[in-house]
Amino acid sequence: MSKCPYHDPFAEKREKGPVLETEFDGDPVAMILGLKDVRKAARDWSTFSSEAPFRVPIPREEHLRSVRQFPIESDPPEHSEYRKIVEPAFNRPNELEYQLRMRSLIQEMITEVISLGSIEAISDFALPLQSRALTLLLGVPESEADVWIKWGVHVLRDRDGPTKGREMENYCMKAFEKCSSWEENNFFSLLNEATFHGRFLTDEEKLGFANLAFAGGRDTVINTVCLILAHLAHHPDDLERLRKEPELVNCAGEEFVRFATPLTHIGRKCPVDTEVHGVKVKADKLISLCWASANFDDTVFDKPTEIRLDRKPNPHVAFGNGAHTCLGAPHARLIIRTLLTQLTELVSSITYLSGQPKIEKTADYERVNSFESLQLRVNGL
Amino acid sequence: MAKLTFVTESGEEITENDATGNLMEIARQNDVDGIIGACGGVCSCATCHVRVKPEWMERVGRPGEDEQDLLELEDRADERSRLSCQIEMTEELDGLVVEVTPL
Repeated sequence: MSKCPYHDPFAEKREKGPVLETEFDGDPVAMILGLKDVRKAARDWSTFSSEAPFRVPIPREEHLRSVRQFPIESDPPEHSEYRKIVEPAFNRPNELEYQLRMRSLIQEMITEVISLGSIEAISDFALPLQSRALTLLLGVPESEADVWIKWGVHVLRDRDGPTKGREMENYCMKAFEKCSSWEENNFFSLLNEATFHGRFLTDEEKLGFANLAFAGGRDTVINTVCLILAHLAHHPDDLERLRKEPELVNCAGEEFVRFATPLTHIGRKCPVDTEVHGVKVKADKLISLCWASANFDDTVFDKPTEIRLDRKPNPHVAFGNGAHTCLGAPHARLIIRTLLTQLTELVSSITYLSGQPKIEKTADYERVNSFESLQLRVNGL
Repeated sequence: MAKLTFVTESGEEITENDATGNLMEIARQNDVDGIIGACGGVCSCATCHVRVKPEWMERVGRPGEDEQDLLELEDRADERSRLSCQIEMTEELDGLVVEVTPL
């Protein structure tokens, strides 16, 4: 993967200037490229606002969902209040019992793919792993993952996104009704009981939280897991190193997340006419925080196109930065760290058989973002 | 036995009387508000930022190069700033007080 010629399509653009003037959905978008500038803009919510329903993701998503996503499509102070509602659920990965359940799940899944011989890494491993792990986070029966797996890698952005988007919303509305029979304090019951400014959440708000929980951490986790497997297949020395130096797992996890940067960028709206590093952005138009460019900024990262398991410091922004830093990051980090540890305990090597890169094609860049398909053989110890 | 006190942004004081390990881990074990330690102590996230009381700065020491590089990205960091994951508790630091200041 690290030999891929497309992993940093923004290198030349960063040399030309701090902003790439591009377009999405027929509108101009000023894409901020450098790490320091991206971090600064991510924290300046009054200039670069998230009060932009359906437009924080780029391209925009009106046709893919009926509700505004919470808490991501809101600004402080409301954002902070909305975020607090779901923080207890998203911080559960910090609990030991949760970590042990994750270990059992990943152990079981790796053992299974070893027994299968050759696998298609997305459908046989990464997608079911992501869905089954999400049942832990949301506190629902593991059998619910069978429904979610059918939605595919990206609920909203695959070919039949609008249909699946509706299916997902219908599923969530039913989940809010039947969640009282699931484990205590599950994600859906938490939202049923939550209050905001002294009132219960509306159905639209609850659905907006659920929509983000399903759409936000899905292809991102799958892409990162696939990148890790492909990298360790191409670099058996890195698997050996992790086996010999297990203390590197946290560091390596951050580096894989930096290199993968599975969410290329995110949008912010300028409430008024704004100048962004010399580029004029009209009121109501978007800028983009380009995480994928920032994470390869060679003024911050030495040889950024190399995966270095011991990279330190590693101030990447793959989980975003500022008030909107990814709510699911503790869960994603736990998946990645547990995966790395369990691979070293159960797997001797991974054989790369074939793969088709997933390419994001836009008006001004093409970015490889993991795989459309990836065939591997996972060899047991 | 080394004593360590965290003072949170709201002014709450949380003291661990038998502090061992690095300060971020101790803070997490004691549910200190404002210390997250998201990256697990590998100088990636800066979510375990503290300010060291002036009288303790010499004994605690300056940030290492990696830590300093990360702190330089943070507008609110100053000369008393440290990442608590990079400070190892020792008997010499018995009585240490740090202020929790999320960046």
